[in-house]
Amino acid sequence: MNVKSDIFSPSERGQILQAAADLCTEQGYAEVTIEDVIDRSGVSPEKFAQIFGGEVEECMLAAINAIVAEVMSAVAASYSADRSELDSALLGIRALLELMAANPSFAHLAYIVSRQMASPRVHEIYDAGTGLLAAMLDRLREQSVGFEPPAKTSRSGLGGAEAVVRAELMAGRAEQLPRLLPDLAYGATVGFLGQEEALRLATRGRELLRGTPWE
Amino acid sequence: MDSSRRDILLDAVLLELSRTGYAELSVQGVLADTGVSESEFESEFGEKDAALFAAYRRLSERVVDEAMGSCSDDERWPERIRSGLKALLEMLAAEPEMARVLIRSFPGIRPATYQCYVDLLARFVPAMHAGRDYSGVDEELPSSVELLAVGAAETLIFVEIDAGRADRLPGMLPEILFTILVPFIGPERAAEEMQSAATA
Repeated sequence: MNVKSDIFSPSERGQILQAAADLCTEQGYAEVTIEDVIDRSGVSPEKFAQIFGGEVEECMLAAINAIVAEVMSAVAASYSADRSELDSALLGIRALLELMAANPSFAHLAYIVSRQMASPRVHEIYDAGTGLLAAMLDRLREQSVGFEPPAKTSRSGLGGAEAVVRAELMAGRAEQLPRLLPDLAYGATVGFLGQEEALRLATRGRELLRGTPWE
Repeated sequence: MDSSRRDILLDAVLLELSRTGYAELSVQGVLADTGVSESEFESEFGEKDAALFAAYRRLSERVVDEAMGSCSDDERWPERIRSGLKALLEMLAAEPEMARVLIRSFPGIRPATYQCYVDLLARFVPAMHAGRDYSGVDEELPSSVELLAVGAAETLIFVEIDAGRADRLPGMLPEILFTILVPFIGPERAAEEMQSAATA
């Protein structure tokens, strides 16, 4: 699978967004100033002002919007009428993890900064993104047999997976994220599928990691 | 500084952080409210950040003690989790400002403060280990199943505190319990425990 490591284009706008993401990861959201972003990105103050005005928050909003759009695009591309819902979900999780491993600063911005450090406007985008992913996961509700999953099962399943991702990011192991596929697939789906089926999906995730062909 | 005055000061620092945010946080205002002199403060902590970290460590200890101290080894594992979770949710509901400091005001300052939050969550992981034995499928469970469970519960708790609805947390005990148990024992058995918690 091809993963774009340059979520942000090599344009001056992209350089600014990359710099903002890198600085947030290193310093935290509140510490980042326009001057920092300009220095790190190498663009002129005039160019920054032309693109984002005088607010560093506009730059952060653009960065998190770009990441959420990229994540949703990668995950949605994994869903296909030719695949089962479970295979689609598994490939969607893999796509997300590979995307984040390819650019740790984006992963920090998406999973840590926008959730717990940033302004309410940035946090709203995080909420919207996780809401969309939860809605996709909630489609597995139809596969629950003999029990009714509680209302927040998709949100909590994703939350468990996010906690594991955040722990890896904080430990500086972003490149290891794709290896979490079996664990995260299990955690995200067990509330809908039941333990036996979720364990089977985790096994399928391990096969994917080993490159074992499907079908 | 004696421990009781120190504790009062540390709680006051966190409440001030909750109200003003880090950028506007003034130690002078806290000192005036608590009757601690600047020289005492400097002798004890040196500067604002040292007091903040000490205050968050103390809050974390209180949270962990409240949850873990409510569990009894005589109970089945799901019951132990339920007892600890109930105490935790009641504490967070009773102290909504501290709850907000716990999840956002302090962790959001910078990466070093966020690490304290990650460390706090990790302290609940050992309480999950017994879930492996209880599950009956220990060998098959993912290596990160404990953190999956903690993180699932944390997400539901975070959303309520962040939305200013910490008071609702005790009423969510059954569903949050489900999220912790389900990776270990599956949805059918977790739902039974949830029902039991709802009718207790």
